[in-house]
Amino acid sequence: MQNYDLEIAKEVLRIRLSQMIVNEKYKEGVFKIPIHLAMGHEAIAVAVSSVMQGDDQLLVSHRNIHYNLARTKALNPELDEYLLRENGLAGGQLGSMNLANEEKNIVYASSILGNNLPVASGLALAKKVKREKSIVIVETGDGAIEEGAFYESLLFMKSNNLSVLIVIENNGWSLATKIKERRCDINLDKIAEALSVKYEKLSSNNVYEYIDKLKFLKEYSLENKIPVIVEVELTTLGGWHLKTPENPEGRFINYHAGPAPEINLENGPEIESSENDPVFVLAKLFEKDVFQKMSQEILGELRKETER
Amino acid sequence: MKYVEYINELIRNKILEKEKIVVFGQNIAAGSCLGGLTRNLKVREGGLIINTQNSENTLCGVGFGLMLGKVASIYFMKQQDFLLLGIDQLVNTYNFIRRKNPETSFTIFPIIVDNGYQGLQSSLNNFGDFCSIARVPGFAVTNKADAEKIINSQLLSPGFRIIGVSQRLFGQKVLDAKPVYINQEGTVFQYKEGKRATIACFNFSFSYGLGLQERLKEKGLESSLFSVNSMTRTNWSRIIEDAGETQNLILIDDSKSENLSCYALASDIMSQCQLKNKIIVKRELSKNWLWPNPDLLEIDYKKIIEQLS
Repeated sequence: MQNYDLEIAKEVLRIRLSQMIVNEKYKEGVFKIPIHLAMGHEAIAVAVSSVMQGDDQLLVSHRNIHYNLARTKALNPELDEYLLRENGLAGGQLGSMNLANEEKNIVYASSILGNNLPVASGLALAKKVKREKSIVIVETGDGAIEEGAFYESLLFMKSNNLSVLIVIENNGWSLATKIKERRCDINLDKIAEALSVKYEKLSSNNVYEYIDKLKFLKEYSLENKIPVIVEVELTTLGGWHLKTPENPEGRFINYHAGPAPEINLENGPEIESSENDPVFVLAKLFEKDVFQKMSQEILGELRKETER
Repeated sequence: MKYVEYINELIRNKILEKEKIVVFGQNIAAGSCLGGLTRNLKVREGGLIINTQNSENTLCGVGFGLMLGKVASIYFMKQQDFLLLGIDQLVNTYNFIRRKNPETSFTIFPIIVDNGYQGLQSSLNNFGDFCSIARVPGFAVTNKADAEKIINSQLLSPGFRIIGVSQRLFGQKVLDAKPVYINQEGTVFQYKEGKRATIACFNFSFSYGLGLQERLKEKGLESSLFSVNSMTRTNWSRIIEDAGETQNLILIDDSKSENLSCYALASDIMSQCQLKNKIIVKRELSKNWLWPNPDLLEIDYKKIIEQLS
């Protein structure tokens, strides 16, 4: 087998298992605030964090747990924030949907669809004024690309020669509605082409491939002073079938926020045995016993960290 | 000198004090330069003047992004009603930023189009409601003294605010009244002292108040004249004190809001003072408010003088 960077694999597992621990607590009802879990989004979060250097800055959306875990490298500060404690990551002031970590260069988080794209434009303009060679990365979702702010910001970034990586996490759903149930397709590559902006699609859930691609795209954006759209096709894991008198067989409910009732930590980090799950993709790259041992060690460390 | 020329001069001088400032907005360096408001703007080396695209929501967010990136900026806006498109940024983004006492300045500088004949968008040229919904400071510029004080103290100071100017006043000679008192916040100006009445002007109504004060004086009625330049509740203790002495209160408010700022002052005064007269001069909406009309505040000076005599 090829030698892969173990630290990267450990990060994917740590972020998955950390979220599963949050989910267990969520099922117990300990949180008063809404939390949007991002199980299935780990590969892109680890890749983004891996390519960030120096003064690079990241802006995230309401579903930001994976990026905060990737940048903060610890679970307790995030758990404490969700519990609105003073020793939380943001002193209990931001909760989940606006959770940022300025010390780790997550400089802004917005709970409003598309809101962070204009702010990213301004941050990138500030870098231009200050002649900084670092990049702004803004994470958003397929819902936000329906907002006017997406087009406006792309136009501003391109018109002002700004280096920005726009990571669009496309999970195909808006709350309980599939994209195809609510709108026509948006061909982001065509929008990018119309504005002479670079576009790249990622869909393998392979964290190593994502890191290589993002490194290249970051350099491309900095060298050419243009924004780059990175569309990431992924699956938000944790959906379940809800049985009602109208649907006795059960109707599929896509996970959006709240606890994921059918995901159990005791079943291990893999949630779905398919390419939809970055952990499944990762496991195929390692010997089975090596991967299991690594997973158990990380879970042990997390249990130790969260024992209070 | 005209009102717009005086403000333009103050802005140009102030901007030159700051390094690496970004000044942006639609048509700010083209055509009429927003009716002369932004004519001949220059920035020091390293700064930028950007004639932008028409994307108000994004432009508001750009200012806040610059603020997070520690670069000061000013966004000039041709019509205040455009700001509706950026209200999410004013509220949500600034709420995030203001948690940590920002070190950098961002000012939105809209023209309040209050010169009539604007049709359907007229009611949105309503400065106070924007400041209220976002809970942000707003300053109305009405004359030479407040322009100098507000632009010099607020335009580039850390934090966010909106500074509004009146299109109705653009072509008029700038009023040159000397203040006898300015509160610490720079939001309440007193120009005259008198024993018979207290006149407090809100929004851009100072010229009406000055006219009334002069007419009352001709009739031997000396009155105190104030201008409240803040768009939201402020430290107006001096006005309350004055009204307690004169017991005759005249409030003039030319805002188009349904929730006038002057009501808050009236409420404070009524709870603390005994008044002989309370007169509120405000816009009376006619049935044709939806379509283009002169849209002027009407003030019956004669009736007010009779009531106070």
